[in-house]
Order: sequence, then C-alpha cells, then structure tokens
Amino acid sequence: MRFVVGYTANARGGDAVNLAVALARSQGASLDLVMVLPEDSPYNGAYPPESGFESILAGQLAAWLDEGLALVPADVPAKAHIRRGESEAEALISAAVELDAAMLVIGASSTGPFKRFSIGSVAGALLHASTVPVVLAPTGYSRTKPITRLTCALGTRAGAEDVLRTGIAMARRRPLPLRLVSLVALGADDAGATVDDARNHLSAVAQASRGVDPASLDKLDIDVVVGRGRTIEDAVDRLNWKAGELLLIGSSRLAHNKSIFLGATANRILRALPVPMIVVPRNHEFQSDELFHTTQVPVVDAAGPTEVSK
Amino acid sequence: MTTPKIVKNATGDHGLSEKGLKAGSVGLIGAVVIGISCIAPAYTLTAALGPTVSEVGVHLPAIFLVGFIPMLLVALGYRELNNAMPDAGTSFTWVTRAFGPWLGWMGGWGLIAATIIVLSNLAAVAVDFFYLMLAQIFSNPSLADLTRVLPLNIATTLVFIAGACWISYRGMETTKAFQYILVAFQLLVLGWFAIAAFAHVANGTAFDATVISADWFNPFAVGSFSQFAAGVSLSIFIFWGWDVTLTMNEETKNPEKTPGRAATVTVVVIVIIYMVVSLATLSFAGIGTTGLGAGNPENQGSIFAVLAGPVMGPFAILMSLAILSSSAASLQSTFVSPARTLLSMGHYKALPGSFSKISPTHKSPSYATIAAAIAAAGFYIITRTLSENALWDTITALGMMICFYYGVTALACVWYFRAEAFHGVRNFLFKWLAPLIGGVILLVMFFKTAYDSMDPSYGSGSNIGGLGLVFILGIGVILLGAVLMLIMNWRHPEFFRGQVLSRTSQVYNP
Repeated sequence: MRFVVGYTANARGGDAVNLAVALARSQGASLDLVMVLPEDSPYNGAYPPESGFESILAGQLAAWLDEGLALVPADVPAKAHIRRGESEAEALISAAVELDAAMLVIGASSTGPFKRFSIGSVAGALLHASTVPVVLAPTGYSRTKPITRLTCALGTRAGAEDVLRTGIAMARRRPLPLRLVSLVALGADDAGATVDDARNHLSAVAQASRGVDPASLDKLDIDVVVGRGRTIEDAVDRLNWKAGELLLIGSSRLAHNKSIFLGATANRILRALPVPMIVVPRNHEFQSDELFHTTQVPVVDAAGPTEVSK
Repeated sequence: MTTPKIVKNATGDHGLSEKGLKAGSVGLIGAVVIGISCIAPAYTLTAALGPTVSEVGVHLPAIFLVGFIPMLLVALGYRELNNAMPDAGTSFTWVTRAFGPWLGWMGGWGLIAATIIVLSNLAAVAVDFFYLMLAQIFSNPSLADLTRVLPLNIATTLVFIAGACWISYRGMETTKAFQYILVAFQLLVLGWFAIAAFAHVANGTAFDATVISADWFNPFAVGSFSQFAAGVSLSIFIFWGWDVTLTMNEETKNPEKTPGRAATVTVVVIVIIYMVVSLATLSFAGIGTTGLGAGNPENQGSIFAVLAGPVMGPFAILMSLAILSSSAASLQSTFVSPARTLLSMGHYKALPGSFSKISPTHKSPSYATIAAAIAAAGFYIITRTLSENALWDTITALGMMICFYYGVTALACVWYFRAEAFHGVRNFLFKWLAPLIGGVILLVMFFKTAYDSMDPSYGSGSNIGGLGLVFILGIGVILLGAVLMLIMNWRHPEFFRGQVLSRTSQVYNP
C-alpha cells in the first residue's frame, strides 16, 4: 500500500509527513513524497522570454524533497517525485492515481492562527475534487507513532456507507479500535438522539452498504457514540479524542461518483476538530483485497465514553 | 557543441520528465495572440505616440517602421542565445558568459532597470485610465482629474503595483481564454478609434484635419539625427515584446514553422494597427502644440486619455477599458521578468543570496518579486515627484534603457558565437551580422539619446539644476547599478572573480 504526501517545504509539509508516517506505521504502507513544479502558461505573456527558471526551480524542489525524505524515519520506506502541472491539486491527484496510492496526505494551510484547520487553496481544491481519500494534517501535527483509533463520523445522508466501509477495511487491515460517531446539534429542540437511535442508524447504514454484513457488526461490538452540543462544532469539542486518533468523514451529495466534495457539515466539523481527518470519496472502495474475507476482527475500544455528558 | 555547466537537469534523481505538459500546445493563432499581448499595443501607443510625435512630428509612421529594424536584428541574436544557453538570467547570464562578470552584471542591471521602469509606467497608465473610466461611468469629468492629485495618484499607483506583485507572487497566471479576449478587445477598440477619427476628418469635425502625405513615411525627412535617435529609441519600446514569438519553441505545435510564421503575422498585424492608428491620430489632431494637438506637451503622457473622448464620443469608455485591462495584465506578467533575473543573479552570487529565495508555498521568487515591486514603486515616487510629466520622461528613459541592455546583449551574441560565425550562411546572418548591426545601432541610439538628454529642454522639459531629467533618470539608474556592483564586489567577490560563471564561447563543432 502506498500513500502520496503532497509535500511543501514548510511547517505544513512537516505536518503532512508526520501524519503520513503515523498512518504508514499503522497500515503498513510506503510513502511517496510529491512536489509539483508549476508550469508557466505560455499565455501568461511573461516578457522578456526566458527558459531557465524551471531548472533553478526544479533544483530547489529536489533539495526540498531531500529535506522532506530526511523527515521520514528509517522504518518507513519513502520515495520522492517531482510532477509538472499547471494546477497543484490536479497534479497531486493524478500522481496519486498513477502511483495507485490508497490515500493523499496533505497539511492544512498554516496561515490561520486561530484554527487547527484552515484550508489553503490547494487543500480546498483537493477536498472538492480528489478521487483518492484525502488526509488532512492539522497545524503542528508532530506525532509519528502509529494511529491509535479510527472514528467514523456517520451522518444521516449519503456518504455514511462509504465511511463505514473504509473504516472497517482500515481497522481490519491492521488491528485498530473503531468508534462510530453520530454528531447531533441540539439547538432549541432538546429531544436529542440516544445511543439506541445511533445504533439503529448504524445498522441502517450497514444494511445500505454493499459488502457489509449487518449481522457481523453485532459480533464486532463496535463502540457507538453520540456527540451532542449546541452546534456541530460544540459537539465535536465535547467528544473525547485520543492522541493518535483519526476521523473519517464522507463526501457530500454534491460529490461526483468516486470523488470528494466536502460538505457543509464536514466543513464545520473540520473547524473544531483536534485530530487529523480523512475525507472519503463517494462510493469509494478502500484498497484491500482481503476486505471482508478476513477473520481479523477489529479491536473494540471499550474504554471510551459511550455518551458524552452535556 | 558544448553544454554550459549551468544548464543541468537537477531533478534527474526524482524523475522529472524533460518535456513539459505544455509542449505542442500553442498553434499559430495562439502564438500571435501571445506576441500581441506582450506588445500590448493599446498601452504602448498611448504611452509612446505623444513623446514620439514631439520628437519627429508627422514622420511618426516612418520612425515606427524604422524602429522595427534594430528590434528584428537584435531579436534574431536573442533567439540564438536563448537556444544555446536557456537561463533565467537571460541578458545577465549571456553577457557574463561572453564579456565577463562586470559587463554581465551591467547587462542584467539594464534589463532589470528597463522592466522596473516599464512596471512603474504601466501602473501609472493604468491609474490614469482607472480614474478616466470612473469619470466616464459616473459621467463626472472631475473624477478623471483625481489622477492629477499627486498624493492620491501615488497612492493609487502603489496599490496597483502591490496588487500585481501579490498576484505574481502567488504564481497566478493569465489563462488562454482571457488573453484571447484581451487581445481581440484591444485590436477592436484601436480599430474603432482609427475609423472614428477618419470619420471626423471626412465630416470636417476633426480638431486639426491634416492631409496624409507620402513624406510622413520618409525617415530621412526627420529634422536632425538627435530627433531620429530619440524617435528610434522610443519605437524600440513599441515593438518590445514582439520577439517573444521568435523564442517560442517546444510549446508550439510545430516548432520548425510556427515561431517564424507567428513572428511574421504578429509584426504585420502590429504594423498595420500602428500605421492606421498613428495616421488617424495625426489626421485628426495634427501635431499642433495646443488643445488636442498630438504635439501638445499636456497630451504626451497618455494620448488616448485626451483623444478617446473627442474621437469616440460616449464609446471612449471602451478605450479606457482596453488600456486599463491590457496595462493591468501586462503589469502582472511583467513582474515575472525582473523577479527571475534578480533570482538568477542571486543564484549566481552576483546579488546577495536572499534574492534567490523561492516561496515554498507558491514556488515563485519571493524576495526578488517583492524587491522588484519596491523598486518600481520607489522609481515612480521619485519620478512623479521630480517631474510634472512623469509618464513622458519615464517612457523616454525606458527607450534608452532598452537600447542599452538590448545593444549589450546583441554584442554578447556576436562575441559568444564568434567561432561559428563564418561557417555557413545561417550562422553568419543570425549569429553575427544581424546582432552586430542591431547591437551597434541600439548602442549608438543609446549614447546619442543619453548625450542629448542632458539638455534641460529635452523630453518634457523637466530638469534638475539644468540637467535634463531623462538624463538623470537614465544615466542615474545605470550609475546606481555600477555603485551597487562595486559594493557587491566588495562584499561578495566570488562572482566578480569569475568563480561562479566563467567566460566561455560557443565552440565550432559541426
């Protein structure tokens, strides 16, 4: 399994490499650090004409990639690539597709001082077009130890099945605790959802998911949590997050088939989220041929709170 | 053929393919559009037509035609150098290779100075037409006069420069569709202006109807060599940009034929539009020095700002829009050049290392782009404060600066290829004779204009202590370069000892 890292020679690129290392260690993957050499459009009309900037820039990118490779510990295999492209996001997606990468890891923009995730233009484009799951590293992510738990955010709309399938596949590939979360913004209506509602929703989602046997979910005894708060952001805040946790989230209904489109709720979750996040494309099949053919059972995380007190 | 040490693919390790995705993407029409957009005819005409008329009067068409000759000759040499030594430093690197570090440094400085001056002029022209357009939109002529309020004018110009710098820093580029629209719009509006002007002449409503005569096309009828030299150095400026078509190569669909054809078509289109517009302007307004006359010093900075209204009536707003859009687009794309030359000079240790910094996020020259913006802003503030007619003086100084760096570059071509020069007709013509004649013409124009511009009445007549402002701007900038070069030599001598870029020449190796 390969993960592509969209590397940049700044703190953001470091965040992405750290997270990719953590993921690679927990999933047994190798890394491909990719930098994009921007192509001058001939229609830009730069004058006087010159044709040597690209070689200076390419030399700089190569030096930066060497620095990036030096950040990867010896136990994780890593390679570096320079790709040409007019659009950085487009070039990263095509690199991920060509390298047959299971995920594309990038750092969130470092320009927003007040939020963990402030989406830069490249990340923004990837979150609305990628055909490969995109992993976003929060600003200042420094942990390189393996991922400790996967949390799947399951909404009521389309996309929940993709998240569930990908989450189960990742948890089965290497034993990882799995937590399923429904986030509820209570607002004025204080009726609230219960864990039972969430379980019912989960089995509904499981039934809708191709390849997931609803009966197996009972056997797995996956931890199910309802996160509540005044707003979605508040609900995210009130959840218990472990160090090394990872959130999986689906794409909005607006997404094209097999690609990502970050919806409004996901955007709001992102704003409050203290851990990295994976955005799963519509109808995504996680790369794993042993999916659902294995006897490996996800480790159940029993310690976590089943319901967050208000 | 030797491969210069500097040209290497540093990225072999990480598997970068040699050819870009853009290879073979530009057809003939695309290349012509790129050529015309680099010339930006609406902007060059409004900026250069007045100053040229003030030098050569009705012989404007003749001088515009003559000015193309040295441009063509030098561009042929430029193309040879660009093929032999593709390098971001262009003139800087090539002159260093041919003549050593000192002349090379000054060649690079000349290129940077020319682009910095044109940046400040582009921004100022854009600002003039910005306020003019506001006046036209709100039918309130007093808004157009805001551009004469010095602090407001300087502040607005700085905003335009900062905006273009920011766009260039972010690495944003003009797209194909946008460029096609800009170019088509410019040509359309210029054509409209010419037809409207001729209609006024025919109806007897022209300001100073002047009958076109064959003498206008006779360059030898220009009064004196001084006027001729000044006119030619201004008309170099109006063709500046055309040579981009010649240097296009693998990005064209047919690298063998497209660049040559595109260069030909571009120059034909440009010459037609220049001839038609200058004849229309002269027939409509005459060269009188009062009112709308093209010789009126008040009108020199930006002729269309004055004439578009009387000629095109309510549609003058299209002219404002065409010039504003084309100068704003050129402003942004022109930032690329001084930034990359500065970056290259930093890379070869001819400037402090910080100039070679590249933004990790946007992958553009970070320090060099901002330095270019500060220099352009500084140049504009100084010129605008010292001169009442800053646009006129900067265009004249710019013509001088282009003659200087182009002349030096052309001679570098002659010297660099000297071993090949007499082997084959093609080598002789393109690598030796054409750049030699072109370079000599341009340097003669440069020295003649520099000498003449010492006269306090030269150009707009701005002067400091009896010394013409154009001289102070032009020679001052070159002297400033020489001083910076000596400081650089004192602080970081490696480059000047030839330890970074050594002198070399093309070896004859058929």
